Amino acid sequence: MITIENLTKYYGSNRAVNHISFTINDNEILGFLGPNGAGKSTTMNMIAGYLPMSDGKVTIYGADVTKEPMKAKRNIGYLPEIPPVYPDMKVREYLSFCAGLKKVPVTKRKSEIERVMKLLKIKDVEGKLIRNLSKGYKQRVGFAQALLGDPKFLILDEPTVGLDPNQVAEVRALIKSLKKDHSVIFSSHILSEVSAVCDRVIIINKGDVRAMDTIENLEKSFTTSLTLHIKIKGSKGKAASIIEMTKGVKEITSIDAEGDEVFSFTVQLEGDSDSVRDAVMAECLKNGISIIEIYTDRPNLESVFIELINRPAKKSGLQELLDETPDESGESGEDESDGGDETEKEEE
Amino acid sequence: MFPIYKKELQSFFYTPFAYAMAMLFMLLFSLSFSTGIAKLDTTNTWAFSFTEMFYSVILYFIFLLPILTMRTFADERKNGTEVLLMTSPVSTAKIVIAKFLANITVYLFMLAGTIIFPIITAMKGEVVVSQLICAYIGIFCWGAMYIALGMLISSFTESPIIAAIIGEVIMFALLFVDDIANTAFISQFPKLRSVIYAFAAQPRFAYFSEGFIRLSDLVFFASAIIVLLIWTYISIEKRRWNRG
Repeated sequence: MITIENLTKYYGSNRAVNHISFTINDNEILGFLGPNGAGKSTTMNMIAGYLPMSDGKVTIYGADVTKEPMKAKRNIGYLPEIPPVYPDMKVREYLSFCAGLKKVPVTKRKSEIERVMKLLKIKDVEGKLIRNLSKGYKQRVGFAQALLGDPKFLILDEPTVGLDPNQVAEVRALIKSLKKDHSVIFSSHILSEVSAVCDRVIIINKGDVRAMDTIENLEKSFTTSLTLHIKIKGSKGKAASIIEMTKGVKEITSIDAEGDEVFSFTVQLEGDSDSVRDAVMAECLKNGISIIEIYTDRPNLESVFIELINRPAKKSGLQELLDETPDESGESGEDESDGGDETEKEEE
Repeated sequence: MFPIYKKELQSFFYTPFAYAMAMLFMLLFSLSFSTGIAKLDTTNTWAFSFTEMFYSVILYFIFLLPILTMRTFADERKNGTEVLLMTSPVSTAKIVIAKFLANITVYLFMLAGTIIFPIITAMKGEVVVSQLICAYIGIFCWGAMYIALGMLISSFTESPIIAAIIGEVIMFALLFVDDIANTAFISQFPKLRSVIYAFAAQPRFAYFSEGFIRLSDLVFFASAIIVLLIWTYISIEKRRWNRG
């Protein structure tokens, strides 16, 4: 098991990662999701022991990364954002160097290299100089390097960037198959990728954890309300009143004109979608409004993701909460000044 | 440690790099060798000595050694392979030592090429072997110190070219430490002069080339190398802490 406690990183006075804590269980794939510049790579670099942390603790199978780096690093396979390959080396040469670096016993080295080359399907380029490989191949050579020595914990920083769709599917399948006897933390800014591969996700933005749960739970907790899309031909006002009167409709969120007497409505629903949809449809037809299109959908994971990222961060420490909430006298003073501002604006 | 050493050597010897360096070094050496022979006449045979040749060669190799060492750490950083080294179970100290040893190996290879000149001379005349060996030890010590210095400079920057240029400037300046100590101004303060003079590598090399192996000179070079390597180690570690 890998434990990350209170991981924090400052670049000067700029806080890149803010008190992140989580654990990665054995045989689990953890997705690390966030927009560019969210602190994903910084966090991964710290977990791998490349960047020193400003505060916090990373424990990998019982070994603290800062206190026992040699013991901890033996269990890590790391694929950084830029594959760490030497352009002047041939693929096999490079892998053999990495195997030595990772202290794979000499007798096992050859079979180990064959194994990872087979897994990543790079056997056909083993004699080529890395500088002549395409981006996708370089990425896979970097990935192969991370698997050498069969480390129990894999850190993969955007492993599918630069691969063609076919290769992306292959690498995803590979990551899934690694779950059997590895723990994996895997970062991406592509949501569908994370939802396809991971057991759990952590969503971070600007160094803060915004959510940490399984994909299903995230979807469930953020997508309770349903949306009805309906496109009609007829009177706009009449249709709007009919829709609003129907039981189970919460509100009409938008109406777009789409041509001569054609309007499409987006309607927020509460309760069971199917019965409401049928009711709306029946009412419309009864009143002589023809329906061109009607369907319901859930807000998808994509919009959950966007919502989570844009949501203000939760305060993590007690001190921060205290700082945030001023004592009574301060609060009343603030209120007064706020009120003053408002009246001034009104006067203007 | 050994895999890194091996990889470094491969990067020198699997590419034309080490051979080009050795060739250039021999070419420069041959220049002073042939001018030395050309100056020979029957009355003045003593003027031709390897000691003097080594002196002029030193001036050349301060331009060659930074090219040897410039890629040591700058390239790792540029390629993003520093991450690989730092996240594998090898300590930073071992990385520094492995790279130093690899550079030293190439340097020995370069020096080995120049042995051809004493051999040619021995075939036609006579070589004072003991003095020659001392001179080689001296030039090796001096080169090893400059390699450690070049590695330090390489660890400061991401660009090998900048590392080479800065290295050349600093190494060139270091040649004149004894001249600085001997200026009229510094000579006014004998204590200051002796401190500055102690840091000059050139007079120490002079002892070697004259056939003396003095413990103090060996200690000087060894401690300079150790200090520079430790400094390199600190510089790499510090960069990781300061990044961003």
